Amino acid sequence: MSSPNGKSTKVYVIGFYVLLFGVWQSLYEFGAIPDYLFPSPLQVARRLWELSTDGLLWPSIKTTLVRMGIGFAVAAAIGLFIGLLMGTSRIVNSCLKSLFLGLQTLPTAAWVPVSLLLFGLKEQGIYFVILMSAMPAVSIATSDGILQIPPLYIRAAKTLGTSAAAMPFTIILPAALPRIVTGIKLGWTLGWHGAVSAELIKSTVGLGYLLYMGRELNDAAQVIGIMVVTIMVGLLLDRFCFGLVEKRIQHRWGLDKEE
Amino acid sequence: MNSASPNLTPQECAPGAFLTLENVSKEFVGANQKVDALQPIHLEVKEGEFVVFFGPSGCGKSTLLNLIAGFERPTTGVICVDGKPVLKPGPERLMLFQEHALFPWLDVMDNVLYGLRRHGRFRFRRKARYERAKELLRMVHLEEFEHAWIHELSGGMKQRAALARALAPDPKVLLIDEPFPALDALVRAKLYAELQEILVRTRKTILSVTHDPNEAACLGDRVFVFTGRPGKIKAEIRVDLPRPRDVTDPKVGEFAARIMSELELEKKAGQP
Repeated sequence: MSSPNGKSTKVYVIGFYVLLFGVWQSLYEFGAIPDYLFPSPLQVARRLWELSTDGLLWPSIKTTLVRMGIGFAVAAAIGLFIGLLMGTSRIVNSCLKSLFLGLQTLPTAAWVPVSLLLFGLKEQGIYFVILMSAMPAVSIATSDGILQIPPLYIRAAKTLGTSAAAMPFTIILPAALPRIVTGIKLGWTLGWHGAVSAELIKSTVGLGYLLYMGRELNDAAQVIGIMVVTIMVGLLLDRFCFGLVEKRIQHRWGLDKEE
Repeated sequence: MNSASPNLTPQECAPGAFLTLENVSKEFVGANQKVDALQPIHLEVKEGEFVVFFGPSGCGKSTLLNLIAGFERPTTGVICVDGKPVLKPGPERLMLFQEHALFPWLDVMDNVLYGLRRHGRFRFRRKARYERAKELLRMVHLEEFEHAWIHELSGGMKQRAALARALAPDPKVLLIDEPFPALDALVRAKLYAELQEILVRTRKTILSVTHDPNEAACLGDRVFVFTGRPGKIKAEIRVDLPRPRDVTDPKVGEFAARIMSELELEKKAGQP
């Protein structure tokens, strides 16, 4: 991944974003699109600043993150458990894998109407959307991880006298961990989509709600600003939280050497 | 790989040598053909002996090791270790693999402790386990690396850590599948010396598989030369050189040549 010219790549990336914002700003300057539809980056930044000083932005980020934290913890726990069952039983795997692969093709926003029917406007509905969005990915990654454990580890464990009862926690889960972490990372991203989608309709606080409010007020600067914030928070967690853990585990498991 | 009707009836072991193979054979049944992997073998190994199975790849020598380890069941016959029939893998017949097979989620110390934690004699004896692991790491000269992660070790260090892990639960028999193949000659020579030293010190019964005649002559008390398709023992060569032996010793070379010639004879006889 990191080539010797990694530094110059970084320069290009920074240049790219400067150019992107420059084009955006100049499109606005030349008045190509009416500004109530298409605000400039400066307007967006100003609106975000207002939102944060109004005390709307930070509580919203926090609320969405807390919902995600709780919802995703439950989703990951259930996903891991089902994945473990799938990884140890061929029958369970072939049944559930097709179902979960099917569910994964469903856009996460498609869970929102069901959740409205089931839970109305209650908070649980958001958790439900997060759960259904994230859980299949974690399950599939866990079972795939288990089914692809190098047989050598299992043989080594057996010859060292590992009992069937000790196998799942001392060998199977740790050996499958690199893939499980990748699945958890993917599950988090999908859960994040689900959480924001659900908040668009069901909430009175949160990033999704701020998006919705921006649209209601015809405030394009707020809509785009919150989109940017949602991307930034998602990216930050993906790259610096899950990404680093994933990288470290792959390194320790010796999986990063082929590349 | 399905085995052809493995005999699952538990068989009695007649009192005899430490490790015995009675009429042991193995047949694999594939989708549309049977493979005669190993023809019936009789073998007796004394306690503390180092026996090497030598032969080309596909001659059934690894299959034989897998049978003794208990990863697979023989099609016919019975394998007895210390008066008990072999039914499944276990730490009294510990296998050391071609690749080190250390667990990357544990550090060096925890890898060595892993087998001890599964061991009845060390259950609930944390301190004893730790002492034992330390002692073994000292023996393979890795005491300074007890908290290192596996990916931080060199190839030779990994093999020595694997050796420490295998010796920790004090197996009755150590099975070595192609020891140290991925290492350079210098590291191997050093590991041979260490292995012999450990052998002398612990008086372990060791069964090893190799296709390197020098390795066979350097390590074995007895070398069994295998020929392939179907796998069977062609000759037995007793290497009566004093230990420790050096791979580069010309006497070891002489034995290696003898071992090799057994194989060559077979090849010539096989050609029309």
